[in-house]
Amino acid sequence: MAEEFDVVVVGAGPAGSAAALVLARAGKSVCLLERGPFPGSKNMYGGVIYPRILDGLIPNWWEEAPVQRWVTRRATMVLTGTQSLTVDYRTEAWGRPPYNGATAYRPDFDAWLAGKAVEAGAVLACETTATGLLGAPGKGGIRGVRTDRPGGEIGARLVIACDGVNSLLAKEAGIYGKADPHHFTLGAKETLALPARVIEERFGLAEHEGADFEIVGCTEGVAGGGFLYTNRETVSVGVVLHLPELAASKKRPEEIIASMKANPVIAPLVAGGELVEYSAHLIPEGGWVMLPGLVADGMLVAGDAAALCLAAGIWLEGVNFAIGSGMAAGETALEALDSGNVSAPGLAGYRKRLEGNFVLADHRKLRRAPHLMLSDRVQHRYPQMICNLTEAMFTVTNPEPKKGILAHTRIEARRAGVRLGQLARDTASALRTYG
Amino acid sequence: MAPTDPGPGPVLVARKWVDRRPTVDLLTGEVSTDPRSSGASEADEAALEWGLRLAGVWGVGVLAVTAGPPDAEAVLRPALAAGAGGAVRIDLTSPPGHLAGGAPSSRAVASALALVARTAGSRMVLCGDLSLDRGSGAVPAFLAGELGAAQGLGLVSLAPDPDRPGHLGAWRRLDGGRREELALAPPWVCSVEGGTARLRRAELAGVLAAGRAPVEVVTAETSGPAPPHPARTGPGRPRTHLLTGPDPTADARHRILALTGALVERTPPLTLTLGPGEGADRILEALRAWGELPGEEFP
Ligand SMILES: Cc1cc2nc3c(=O)[nH]c(=O)nc-3n(C[C@H](O)[C@H](O)[C@H](O)COP(=O)(O)OP(=O)(O)OC[C@H]3O[C@@H](n4cnc5c(N)ncnc54)[C@H](O)[C@@H]3O)c2cc1C
Repeated sequence: MAEEFDVVVVGAGPAGSAAALVLARAGKSVCLLERGPFPGSKNMYGGVIYPRILDGLIPNWWEEAPVQRWVTRRATMVLTGTQSLTVDYRTEAWGRPPYNGATAYRPDFDAWLAGKAVEAGAVLACETTATGLLGAPGKGGIRGVRTDRPGGEIGARLVIACDGVNSLLAKEAGIYGKADPHHFTLGAKETLALPARVIEERFGLAEHEGADFEIVGCTEGVAGGGFLYTNRETVSVGVVLHLPELAASKKRPEEIIASMKANPVIAPLVAGGELVEYSAHLIPEGGWVMLPGLVADGMLVAGDAAALCLAAGIWLEGVNFAIGSGMAAGETALEALDSGNVSAPGLAGYRKRLEGNFVLADHRKLRRAPHLMLSDRVQHRYPQMICNLTEAMFTVTNPEPKKGILAHTRIEARRAGVRLGQLARDTASALRTYG
Repeated sequence: MAPTDPGPGPVLVARKWVDRRPTVDLLTGEVSTDPRSSGASEADEAALEWGLRLAGVWGVGVLAVTAGPPDAEAVLRPALAAGAGGAVRIDLTSPPGHLAGGAPSSRAVASALALVARTAGSRMVLCGDLSLDRGSGAVPAFLAGELGAAQGLGLVSLAPDPDRPGHLGAWRRLDGGRREELALAPPWVCSVEGGTARLRRAELAGVLAAGRAPVEVVTAETSGPAPPHPARTGPGRPRTHLLTGPDPTADARHRILALTGALVERTPPLTLTLGPGEGADRILEALRAWGELPGEEFP
């Protein structure tokens, strides 16, 4: 055994670093394992973080967090090959403390957050992959992890698995059942370099302001969505694709990004951008319906490892959910260590903590959203229908008089192959989901 | 009584820290580095592995050394993790009047390393033969000069004599695929090629301990002659010239012609073939004639 710690946290993503920070600040001995050469080196995402969850953990975090731009413009776009409808919201309030969302590079943000844990006393070991658990639930409990280094066993009273989506440790602990590919999407993105001034002109932004565009109808018939975010001197453009549909379509994710970039609405925004990075990653899109048991004897699971990323169509929030659940895991671990009960029942407070804050409250409230957003009509029929409807309403066909919205809706629904009953049911379902 | 042999001391492994993607502030010329994009070359990694192997055979320690700012400790921690017993960072300061921020000369780095080697009682020094920034590769040779040590540079293989600590056979490439074989006895300075040994994967206990291990910091002066480049570390800014404005009463076309100097007769470009000394004189003469050396700052 290389060493014994109170807690081993596996994965220095936002969930792991938040858990390690809470524990190290409370004086516990913590080892934070990361397989990459530095925290964040392996991590990709779309690009917007909602860091208000840090208010209590790192007061005035905005003065030091490595932020690219503060998001002051948020748009939701419905695209077809030739049409687009955008709901575009801007506010100066999001450009001032305490801010709302920020674009940030994960190698910067994750390294910064892990640095906080190290400052507080956590021991960070990079280029070290946890390959398995020591001990097992029910058989004396989990007592540490095995790693890929020589002499690579670390003992711990508790393990917190923050190893991201498709967590091998959570699976080994028997926390997950058989994985269902319908609960996963693949995110792929290109980072394109453009001068800051060009980005500001194209997106209508001031110097530190950023834009966040969420897009439906740009994925070549594969269920999913697209996004476009602005960093200081790059833009991130990418897609999130339903795994089974992507496989069935035989399309490559980069081809789908290419077709999105060629869309007449997107093309002028990214024109001339030089590709500086291409990356892809799985998303545990299922949310509530794929939620695993969150604890085992001697182990807690947080962040994407516990499928806590919120992918609810207009909201794609994972980093704040990872930090929120990591903090809750850290607090629960503290309690359990102090009471000397690290068994699964001793860790039951974790779920209560998550239910008592936004993490499980939002997941429960939006539990129908992933299914609704990936449904056939939302993906394949409504974008065209909504754009046609808007076009019909604003096309002046004199000498014909104007038709009412309902008449247009009836016509366009029929053209899109949607029955009015289905439309009403979907509207009611959307209201139930988001209302 | 015969004096006892002090032995060859620990193997000193010198590692050059280089940031592969430093950022330069275009306005101030300030260079910032990032530990995440910096590291040591493949040759320096090989040197560390050879150092650990030799030390293992002879039962001596390994001391890892680098010269650079605090970020440079990024190349010392992996050495500690892999088995080095100690680590020293040399903080090189520029003497007054020296150019701040320029890379220290190979000689200055070598004399600082020599100081550390003497203090540690090390008579065996290993380096990589090529750094990440493809520097001059002259440090090992200067260091051997400073220590009065034998040199084995650009080696491809080393074979320690298990019975005589510090003694080893070494091989380096010659033209035509031939090898030169050297027999070295301490004191020696060797540099090895990259790829001749693959750095071992550090044990977990080593990695955990390395994060907390102290790194000794020694301060040394870059006392050697100033390197020729860069002559100045700030951004290049052309001198300002006072220009009299165009005649305000002239029409727009003439004002633009006057401002741009278009259509004005000028000295055509001149091609001269001169020796280096004469060439330098001729350049100074031209600069003087153009008013670029008002204070005659350059002797
Ligand atoms: C395309 C895409 C777009 C997204 N867009 C957004 C967005 O705009 N905003 C947002 O908030 N969220 C977004 N997300 C979701 C967000 O990225 C995740 O929810 C979040 O990163 C989860 O954090 P985590 O700490 O749980 O896991 P991760 O960030 O995945 O971190 C896991 C860490 O564990 C390490 N690790 C894994 N296995 C091991 C092991 N065995 N041993 C040691 N270390 C290990 C990894 O290297 C990594 O550092 C997006 C995701 C994708 C894929």
